[in-house]
Amino acid sequence: MVTKSSPALTFCSRSEVVIVEVKPTADARDTEYRPRCLSPATSRSVTLTMGGFYSYFKSLFGEKELRILILGLDGAGKTTILYRLQVGEVVTTIPTIGFNVEQVTYKNIKFQVWDLGGQTSIRPYWRCYYSNTDAVVYVIDSVDRERMGIAKDELMYMLKEEELNGAILTILANKQDVEGCMNVTEIHQALGLDSLKNRTFQIFKTSAKKGIGLDEAMDWLCNTLQNHK
Amino acid sequence: MYTLFHGLYKYLTQKDEFWVLILGLDNAGKTTYLECSKTKFKKNYKGINPSKITTTVGLNIGNIDIHRVSLNFWDLGGQTELQSLWDKYYAECHAIIYIVDSSDRERMDESKKTFEKMICNENLGGIPLLILANKQDIPDCMGVREVKPIFNQNAHLIGRRDFMVMPISALTGDGIDEGIQWLVQSIQRNIEVRPPKNAEDY
Repeated sequence: MVTKSSPALTFCSRSEVVIVEVKPTADARDTEYRPRCLSPATSRSVTLTMGGFYSYFKSLFGEKELRILILGLDGAGKTTILYRLQVGEVVTTIPTIGFNVEQVTYKNIKFQVWDLGGQTSIRPYWRCYYSNTDAVVYVIDSVDRERMGIAKDELMYMLKEEELNGAILTILANKQDVEGCMNVTEIHQALGLDSLKNRTFQIFKTSAKKGIGLDEAMDWLCNTLQNHK
Repeated sequence: MYTLFHGLYKYLTQKDEFWVLILGLDNAGKTTYLECSKTKFKKNYKGINPSKITTTVGLNIGNIDIHRVSLNFWDLGGQTELQSLWDKYYAECHAIIYIVDSSDRERMDESKKTFEKMICNENLGGIPLLILANKQDIPDCMGVREVKPIFNQNAHLIGRRDFMVMPISALTGDGIDEGIQWLVQSIQRNIEVRPPKNAEDY
């Protein structure tokens, strides 16, 4: 365990990438094809008895890991954000097929952060990861005006899921360093966020490349989640 | 028989649901107010430490139960660019809490103009308006006697709506109770104009 004092981030390396089987039937909404979640992504609930005891006592002492999903369309910058949070620098990424999961410690709170691939064909698999989620971080490419409609549909479709009822929502308007990007008001309108009447959410302007806005977003997540429980 | 008891049970336990919008300029203390109300009226709720509350860009929600009434709060961001989003919520709200930073004399006029623009919206006809002169804990802030005349200049626009100015301090919690009591009464008086929303209607 390495402790860095300046960005207040400590890291444990626990990374794995699993390729999920992608059925060619493509979009879930067109075909009513819903992927079966064979191995529950949430290992927390399904553990051996000893592990169960262990996690029970762990939760007694307030060492609970908060589970966060980073979602968004492909190319929005999800993986870049994850590693910006974890190692504090920009890493070169390739399109994620499957997922990345890392443990990020921010201000003594442990987060289990899942970054799921955002391509059209693998979006139906997002729902396999919804259970026990404390917060959803939805990343938007603020430059990509054309696909804002798709981003909206995916978001609304996702929030209809019952498993996400208790989750708070953070929207990261990413790529704010690019000129001509959409501002917060435009994004709010484009995503139709006024229809979310029962959910706490917050929009942050971020630039994963330059590291702007991510600390504010994490601060807000920490504060809000601690009170949410 | 089951239906009868079920209906009776529902009648006894059902709470009328109302939606309340919390608006005001940025840094007026809207989120702090929401947290303070939640702390006061909800058991076992520990509010966010006021020093940790940051600028809202989005929506905070809260819910409190009082006198068989369930109040749901929407706390929106108050920055100028976000004010254009307020009107999306007007049609569905049952009351408005408008928070004013009483210590900021320079922006009082801006606050008044924003309020003026807000109440002109036709979707807010008949809606009770509660103005809270916040930050009364700061010495040398404007008292209700100073704040009230400023907003009373809009009397012709307010018309027959229930209207009240109250002093509060969201930081210390003074005045929160009175505000909520007044709000509940006005909302119930206004029930004909804006009937409550109940969970079953969704």
